[in-house]
Amino acid sequence: MTDTLVRPETPVALDSVDRAALIDSVRRSLADRCTQADVRRIMDSETGHDPALWRALAEIGVTGLTAPESAGGAGLGAIELELIMEEAGAALLPAPLISTAIATVLLDGERLASIVDGSRIAAVAFAGTHDWTGRSDVRIAGDRLSGTARFVPDAAIADTILVATDDAVFAVDRGDVDVTPLPVFDRTRRMADVAFHGPATRIGDASRVAAARDIGIVALAGEQAGAARRMFELTVAYATERHQFGRAIGSFQAIKHMAADLLLESESATSAARDAARQVAEGSATKDAAVPLAAFACADAFVRVAKDGIQMHGGIAFTWDHPAHLYMRRARSGAQLFGDSSHWRERYIRALEAQA
Amino acid sequence: MTSDHLQAEVDAWLATHWQGLPAHHESFGRDPRSAWLAKVRDAGWAVPRWDAEWGGRNLSNERAKIVERAFAAVGAPGAGQDRSNLWANTALAHATDSFKRQIVPQLLAGEVGMCLLYSEPGAGSDLAAVRTRAEKVDGGWRINGQKVWTSGARVADYGMLIARTDWDVPKHRGISFFFLPMKQDGVEVRPLRQITDEAHFNEVFITDAFVPEENLLGPLNGGWGVLQTALAYERSVMGDAARGPRSGAGGPKGDHSLLGLAREAGRLDEAVVRQDVAQVIAWRVLNKLNTARAKAEMAQGTSSPIMSLGKLAMSRILHEEARVRTMLLGSESLLEGPEHPRAEDANFLAFNAYFTSIGGGTDQIQRNIIGERVLGLPKEPEVDRTIPFREVRAG
Repeated sequence: MTDTLVRPETPVALDSVDRAALIDSVRRSLADRCTQADVRRIMDSETGHDPALWRALAEIGVTGLTAPESAGGAGLGAIELELIMEEAGAALLPAPLISTAIATVLLDGERLASIVDGSRIAAVAFAGTHDWTGRSDVRIAGDRLSGTARFVPDAAIADTILVATDDAVFAVDRGDVDVTPLPVFDRTRRMADVAFHGPATRIGDASRVAAARDIGIVALAGEQAGAARRMFELTVAYATERHQFGRAIGSFQAIKHMAADLLLESESATSAARDAARQVAEGSATKDAAVPLAAFACADAFVRVAKDGIQMHGGIAFTWDHPAHLYMRRARSGAQLFGDSSHWRERYIRALEAQA
Repeated sequence: MTSDHLQAEVDAWLATHWQGLPAHHESFGRDPRSAWLAKVRDAGWAVPRWDAEWGGRNLSNERAKIVERAFAAVGAPGAGQDRSNLWANTALAHATDSFKRQIVPQLLAGEVGMCLLYSEPGAGSDLAAVRTRAEKVDGGWRINGQKVWTSGARVADYGMLIARTDWDVPKHRGISFFFLPMKQDGVEVRPLRQITDEAHFNEVFITDAFVPEENLLGPLNGGWGVLQTALAYERSVMGDAARGPRSGAGGPKGDHSLLGLAREAGRLDEAVVRQDVAQVIAWRVLNKLNTARAKAEMAQGTSSPIMSLGKLAMSRILHEEARVRTMLLGSESLLEGPEHPRAEDANFLAFNAYFTSIGGGTDQIQRNIIGERVLGLPKEPEVDRTIPFREVRAG
């Protein structure tokens, strides 16, 4: 196991044909293995995780999408990750994809290889000034960690917990920490509190933490954009089919006008997520504005589409059996995952001030 | 010819001919840049995608963009009007060949001033309800009626006019589309004072004015179809641009002007101010990203639903930006006059936002269009769609 992080290889950029083929293979895999019935089955399971689904995703290369080829990954970049996440979001895929993308940036060597081949899962706890929850309490003394990281996504199913502090990145085995799964509102995105009380392996300095966070935001923004679009499509389809007062409800201006506004929200989210991905991939000078913009634009858009989408459906979407609430739960959960929209608007305006 | 040859040809042409222009642009009326635009037209750069017969070069979209980019790189106007010139595109698509030969070259060089004679006091959002009448007479039509919201009418040589030519069929089927000569007795233009205290628009009173036969565009009574193509051009242009502050003294324009104003007002450390400023700037950036995505998708040959969203997005941006500017100024916004340019800007922008949210079709009409044409939602029933216009209640 290396203790020093080396720069990852430059990601490969796919041409549009290969990119379309990649997206298509993910889409087909999700259509087979991540139907709404699957989402509900996994959501109701003890861990909220389906190892068979995860293996299937590993086989088509999703778990190693952004890992370098030397680690067995596909060597792709933020652009492809974002597009794949749009598909994952549309299907409400309950799987540790975002954690994996972040971990891929922080890891090297065998640890990375075992993440890439899907045999191990990593969860990431951001600590110090990177902690968006403001509720964690992780202390570092030499190579020993103590205190608790709160709301850590995927921690209960992880084999390795990575802790990204202001100075270093640590890895701790699952057996060396106390993990307390949280009773989360969105059961398709599990979180846990992680209590540390012992030695941790320092696997590198903090040079990659900002990049890891950027990748996490890009992945989440893509997921939100894709989910918002799917929820919007479901809503428009319903407004076309559902008749009241002798006409399709979509013919009423009250519905039509909401639909037009939601199209703007949904398309703007897609634009923001893809632009942030491109800027991260290119290492653009204005990346530090593009990433926060995507963070709040996509979160807000998805919440609004999910919320108004339920209203436009009427009573049917108020039932447990209709998928609308699953999208609403995802939207609300994602809008807090890496900090709320106010937090990201503040970071956005700081980036603009720095550019001015 | 390869792309490199084309690039070299445009660059060489620009190097020889382009010497800059005074920065002035007016989309209505006679264009002060005519001499330059005529050169661009004669060289074939104005409409590179069109057939040579109409002054173009038969270039593919991709190659035409090489031309546009070369012009943009040196800041020269006039290229790529095959995508942007409302007047020329409408004429090319619908005028008779003889009229096209006369008018299109003049339009491309801005040698004739133009205005839009669509809206009437009783036909705003519902343009199919126009009551201006065109009656057949020897050699053409006699026009009587009243139009409103006409920019540039005082300097226009022609107005694109919709008028009723058949009163006994349903409203959409009895309208025709004309190029009305404006410089004639019987066309009276009166400036219309607006809520911004400007007189950008006019009322046009038409009494026994004459339109020659050849100035009819499209089929007789087929004007509704011609109007739809013309309106689509207009809307796509409106989403891209909006006017800035009137005085130009309210700080730097564009994305960061709000940031500058907040700093100047000493309020950039207030959390609420920071949130609002960030949100408005973000909406502007998102609109640009959407437009760029739409253009990229259309360049690949797929139609993009996003193109129809720009105008709606811009309405929200303009109204919200005016609100935030006013908040930043506080009591200063109660003042006006040249010694209070920031207040004057904020107050002007608060009113002028309606230029976009009402003009060119209200936001509400725009939402109907997006709902029906982009999303395929069923149409709102129209009770007057099938009855003869004579029997329609209006006003």
